[in-house]
Amino acid sequence: MDYSIGKEQEMLRKSTREFFEKECPKDKVRELKTEPKAYDAKMWKKMVKLGFQGLIIPEAYGGMDGDFIELTLFMEELGRNIVPMPYFSTVALCALPIMEYGSDEQKEKYLSGIAEKGDIWTLAQTEKRANNEASEIQMSAGKDGDGFLLNGTKLFVPYAHVAKMMLVAARTSDDSYPEKGITLFAIDPKSEGITMEVIPTIAKDGRCEVVFENVKVSKSDILGQVDQGWEILDHIQQQGALLKAAEMYGGGQAAFDITLNYIKERKQFGKVLGSFQAVQFMMVDMQAHLDGLKYLVYNAAWQVSIGESSRSLNSSAKAKANKIYHEVCHYGMYLHGAIGWTEEMDIGLYHLRTRSMIYDCGGTDLHLEAIACEMENEEPAFIKVFGSAS
Amino acid sequence: MDFKFGEKAEKLRAEIREFVKAEMPPRYIGKQFEEETTEEFWAFAMHMSKKLSEKGWLTLSWPKEYGGMAADLWEQAVFGEEAFYWGLPGLGMGISGTAWVGPSLMLFGTKEQQEKYIPTIAAGDPDGVWCTGYSEPDAGSDMAALQTTAVKDGDEYVINGQKVWTSCAHHARWLWCAVRTDPNAKKKHQGLSLMIVDMKSEGLTVRPLENYAGGHVFNELFFNDMRVPAENLVGVEGQGWGQLMAALSFERGTAIGTAANAKRIVEELVIYAKETGQFKQPQIRHKLAELSIDIKAARLMALEAIWKTDQGQTVIHEPSRDKAFCDIIQEKLGRIGADILGVYSQMDLGLPDNRWTQLKGAVEHLYHFNIGLALAAGTTDTQRNIVGQFGLQLPRAY
Repeated sequence: MDYSIGKEQEMLRKSTREFFEKECPKDKVRELKTEPKAYDAKMWKKMVKLGFQGLIIPEAYGGMDGDFIELTLFMEELGRNIVPMPYFSTVALCALPIMEYGSDEQKEKYLSGIAEKGDIWTLAQTEKRANNEASEIQMSAGKDGDGFLLNGTKLFVPYAHVAKMMLVAARTSDDSYPEKGITLFAIDPKSEGITMEVIPTIAKDGRCEVVFENVKVSKSDILGQVDQGWEILDHIQQQGALLKAAEMYGGGQAAFDITLNYIKERKQFGKVLGSFQAVQFMMVDMQAHLDGLKYLVYNAAWQVSIGESSRSLNSSAKAKANKIYHEVCHYGMYLHGAIGWTEEMDIGLYHLRTRSMIYDCGGTDLHLEAIACEMENEEPAFIKVFGSAS
Repeated sequence: MDFKFGEKAEKLRAEIREFVKAEMPPRYIGKQFEEETTEEFWAFAMHMSKKLSEKGWLTLSWPKEYGGMAADLWEQAVFGEEAFYWGLPGLGMGISGTAWVGPSLMLFGTKEQQEKYIPTIAAGDPDGVWCTGYSEPDAGSDMAALQTTAVKDGDEYVINGQKVWTSCAHHARWLWCAVRTDPNAKKKHQGLSLMIVDMKSEGLTVRPLENYAGGHVFNELFFNDMRVPAENLVGVEGQGWGQLMAALSFERGTAIGTAANAKRIVEELVIYAKETGQFKQPQIRHKLAELSIDIKAARLMALEAIWKTDQGQTVIHEPSRDKAFCDIIQEKLGRIGADILGVYSQMDLGLPDNRWTQLKGAVEHLYHFNIGLALAAGTTDTQRNIVGQFGLQLPRAY
């Protein structure tokens, strides 16, 4: 048992934190709300030079060959500074599945593009039902000679408007099991037949509606196997949920710290707000949940790093993050008093991101259900020792 | 980073499971404080104390020269986890024998005291059963306000006053008692001392305090010119507060066990709800899933505190954070569990084997006892005060 963070990991965390503190102060976050690209291209380029996009990509493809814990810590720092950028969509939603399921050619071409050139990627998964389940995917990919024709609409696709490439989930065959018959394609968003517009989300974080009308794709654009795409989407959802939870932990802790500093300074009735027990107890309870979230995230990331990813830990981390990120933002604003509700204070910037983060890679009910399934199938230790007769 | 226990600790876990299979009634579910409630439970607990002592597990954290196994913190963690998961009875040697009387005597006791009291605890003898007298009618969460006096008279102390909520006094051979030796001390934390009191002393009356659910755990103690030999003073007269705080920190570090007990009850509830068909209902599945997240988090936080201690870091607010967090889990678990049992949750706590009692009454027990558990060893809110002040560095709010 070792709760310490390794030397190299700590160094990476430190340099990441310093980089984002310098490059992405809150004024920058505010400024990017009106930037159509929804990210800072210069900052993105600087990050390529530092190797951040290729953090987890193997050296053979120009990456830094980092481990999953390092990526997790990186996401935590990204969340702490609420840096608006397509990092999550590029790395968590696309680079990781390409590393796992891509052909050698695809890896060579795509991974080095991400690591060395900072190519932006995204995943087009969500459709109208928007529940992160296989049944949601209705977009058709009908046979068209040697290739396929895509028709349908994807929603809330992050940064599609600036992406160089995207992974698209579509249905190549119908089956009574919705998990079967899904295929993932790597597509250039500028391909003929694709139109898109940015959805006016509250965080102005570049979520797009992407419409596919007879978009031609070839066999070689398939990631993994035909009809076997759900396995990849599930893989993305597992690791993505965990990495998003890490980002939310960073953000939640930062929103908490902002509030803590505020209640140590602001005075009413001649005393600082933090001296009131009602205020203190809210803070104490939130910090306990944040600590719990931190270790759920670290434990889950460690499981991935040793090749034993745990479904119930990944889901536990995301479900806990969904709950506590909202609470810290909500009660953090409340504890600021009216000023917390204004544009001037930073706490609101965090809260604006609550809704999108909660649904990235699965909402709370989806993850609770995943945990419940594990609990249902697991044989508890007392049954192993005493048998099932009560 | 590494979230696995080492080989030594895992070997101990496997040995404990062998022991449980051989020595415990099948599917036994442990309930905190239950062993004190009837003579039958108590006899079973003492029987198990002996068995555990033979294994060396009753006092596994103690140094070898005191009859312990000098187990490292990780073995202790695994033992705590398993003991509470399986509900091993007889671990406490009353309230406090193994947890803080022994360790405190090793720190502050005289050689004579160590030789007289420690071996009986380690051996699991009835003579090694202790109760603890801290709380008084006007000194609950504010323990330093205690008023029981001990006045030196020759080679004896004369003790007058009252203790309350004294668990296990009806089984204990000795009382670990906090008293005021200097009533004129400037501050309430000063002038306190710890005494060893023979439960057979003249001038001591034990009155049972039945709890609202009909169980006998607590007692009231009345001291009327009770004479205690001066050699029964523990440590230095007037230094009781510091010694008490050291002893309390032994008591609060049990979150890993509470989490394991909660895990067991959740697992029992899953099996139960699968049998009744209730586990198909999303509201039941999701409530239990949500609880399991908090239980995992509680375990990880408790292990964090153990890791810090193991690293030589000072742990101040973490045990309080963990106690408060676990209090809330137990409250939720009692309520959600009772909702799952529905009409069967109204069974009498004293009848775990009644044909209508489900899960041997473990859920009802938690439902009614979690209130007491949240109050014991520092209430949930007292813990929050500690975390606010020492963890978040906020001004003292009480």
